[in-house]
Amino acid sequence: MSMAEGLQPDEFAATAARAVTACAGLDARAQAQNLAGDGLLGVIADEQVGGLALPLGFAVPVIAAAHSGLLTFPLLETILVARSFQSSLTRLAAAIVSGKTLATIGWRGEAVAAREGGLLVLSGTVARAPCAACADYILVRMSGGAAALVPIDADGVVVEEAAGLDLTVPEHTVRLEKVEVSVGSILPAGTWDPLNSDANVLRAAAILGSAEACLALAQEHASTRRQFGHALSYNQAIRHALARQKLGLESIRHAITRSLSEGGGPLQRDAAFLAAVTYGSSISEGALQIHGGMGFTWDVPVHRHLRRIRTLQAQGDASGLISTLGRRYVSEVAPFAEAGT
Amino acid sequence: MSVVEAVSAQSTASENLTGEAYRNAMHRWLHANLPASFRSDSAAFAPPTLQQSVAWEAAMYRAGLTGITWPKAYGGHGRSLREHLIANQEIGRLAMPESVNSIGKELAGPIILAVGTEEQKRRFLPAILEMRNIWCQGFSEPEAGSDLAGLRTRATRDGDGWRINGQKIWTSGAYRSQRCLVLARTGALEDRHRGLAMFAVPLDAEGVRVRTIKSIDGRESFCEVFFDEVEVAQQDAIGAPDEGWAAAIRVLEIERATNRMYRAWRFENELRHLISSCKADPALSAMVADRHYAVRLGEVAVEIEVLKAHVETAVEALVKGDKIGARGSLAKLYWSESHQRFAALALELLSQASLPQKAAITVARRRFEAIYLQARAETIYAGTTEIQLGIIADRILQLSRGK
Repeated sequence: MSMAEGLQPDEFAATAARAVTACAGLDARAQAQNLAGDGLLGVIADEQVGGLALPLGFAVPVIAAAHSGLLTFPLLETILVARSFQSSLTRLAAAIVSGKTLATIGWRGEAVAAREGGLLVLSGTVARAPCAACADYILVRMSGGAAALVPIDADGVVVEEAAGLDLTVPEHTVRLEKVEVSVGSILPAGTWDPLNSDANVLRAAAILGSAEACLALAQEHASTRRQFGHALSYNQAIRHALARQKLGLESIRHAITRSLSEGGGPLQRDAAFLAAVTYGSSISEGALQIHGGMGFTWDVPVHRHLRRIRTLQAQGDASGLISTLGRRYVSEVAPFAEAGT
Repeated sequence: MSVVEAVSAQSTASENLTGEAYRNAMHRWLHANLPASFRSDSAAFAPPTLQQSVAWEAAMYRAGLTGITWPKAYGGHGRSLREHLIANQEIGRLAMPESVNSIGKELAGPIILAVGTEEQKRRFLPAILEMRNIWCQGFSEPEAGSDLAGLRTRATRDGDGWRINGQKIWTSGAYRSQRCLVLARTGALEDRHRGLAMFAVPLDAEGVRVRTIKSIDGRESFCEVFFDEVEVAQQDAIGAPDEGWAAAIRVLEIERATNRMYRAWRFENELRHLISSCKADPALSAMVADRHYAVRLGEVAVEIEVLKAHVETAVEALVKGDKIGARGSLAKLYWSESHQRFAALALELLSQASLPQKAAITVARRRFEAIYLQARAETIYAGTTEIQLGIIADRILQLSRGK
């Protein structure tokens, strides 16, 4: 019997929520130990590296709970890197699953590789790498859709702080100046796109978690804040705004479900991420608006979700993706010919 | 052999088909039998006459494409909701005319199945599927549009039967219908939702008068229906007074989530038709390859995928026995607004076509100009956008209205 039999993805949501709460105030390494203790870092990694060997759908409630609870740890990246190297770098993957080693991914940019003897030498700049300053390894894209896992402490690796909206999971830019990596650290050409496709589903899950939290905050505020002698929710304008947010939230949820169903392919995965970006941004901005002036304060956490959603939008290059999706869709339709011909 | 017997024989022949085999069978039949003149993406398109539509829909029924989930005892095919979805996906992928009896198949029929008597089920349901009876919906009134609980059409006891007086409006297809599902008041106006009853009123009854209303698309498809001392037999009362409406609401909730289940796949057919037409035009083929329109067309494609997700999730929830509740309002709100955005984009693109106009653009303009106009009604009928937002706020979010 496989691990997935008898389990439902939703059962992981409560575990993840508890683990996220327990991580509050801890540094990244302590958080990794906590999350590993609950099996969350290896949720989709093989059992031979200490993972649970579950399908990607089981990572969805985990990531959603992490973002709903504003976890300050690069969980999405950790889960994907652990699975990516479960066959080629088993011990390293096991160290990541156990929380002893921290890994992240540079989502934008790519490195150019040159071969020198038995080693590859990487040069280039990658960006939008969450928590790279505290990570031990970073996965970078290479030309041809290959990828390389680079030790952060290797000679020639320069981690720089980067401006970014998400202050609690800060992004970094990483310069690679003739960095030597072993051939075993390379994932072959064609690896990156499916990895990024999985990441898009998990980004959608992350946005779902944040959007759920924002709508709950907005709903609570609208029900308790009184103006003109009524709760805000007495007003039709507020009720309809919240109803639209609920439509957006359920659209994200259903799109994720469909992307993971039997018929789910690249289009459905891209659609889930793009829908999440569109509706997640709208929900978090709308929640901020419903809070009025309070929404613009630091203490009301809506802005933290908004920052994360916009950061995830950039990490997944939503603008480039919708353009690519549209062009691909157009290219796949033949010019008009009489119906049935 | 009667039509019902013929369908029963066909169902027996195909009842072992499931999944992809069932889909393939439905796909093959539709492609082999849908006339080119019925396809609005064809240069040969000519809107079918009522007689042609009736014959086509009766043939679809015999092929197993309507009445899919209705019990075999009442002429249905006794299949699952998942198979209903499969058939609708195949229906949606073709640019075929809308049903002239959707009220019968997707509103009156399910309500009769839920609250009708055994005699009513046997009398009405096969006639709907065989297209012997076309139905219309007599709910809205001049003073009761979105606020149905304020309707004034009155049903009073008259011996063993009823007598109906009042007026209905926005009654789509009444001029071509044999029966009208009339919602009428048996109690006082102050009773609101209580004291409402439903009747299957024959439109050839004495005292019924139908007047067509010309709509923005130039057609005369919806009507006013006047009831002047119309006698209705007790056997045509659907469900008990007071109880009928509550049951109907439950059915309506499901219908809102599942009716015309093919929409997302039809919208996809429309999107592909639009793109294929543009690619046959020198100016438009360059435009749709450009980033601006590629992004906007991509956004339509994403919305279609999300709509499919709403539909498929609702089907799976129903199959698992979950209550659909007010969730149908989410899907209705989503498809109606996204279709309007798409229709406007189609008009915008086609208006920039090269001259002289290509045949492909002529076909596309005829289709999309009609869709654009008809889509304006989509955020109004079956509960306006504002009503859907209210339902979501009240019943899903359960927002407080208190002071």
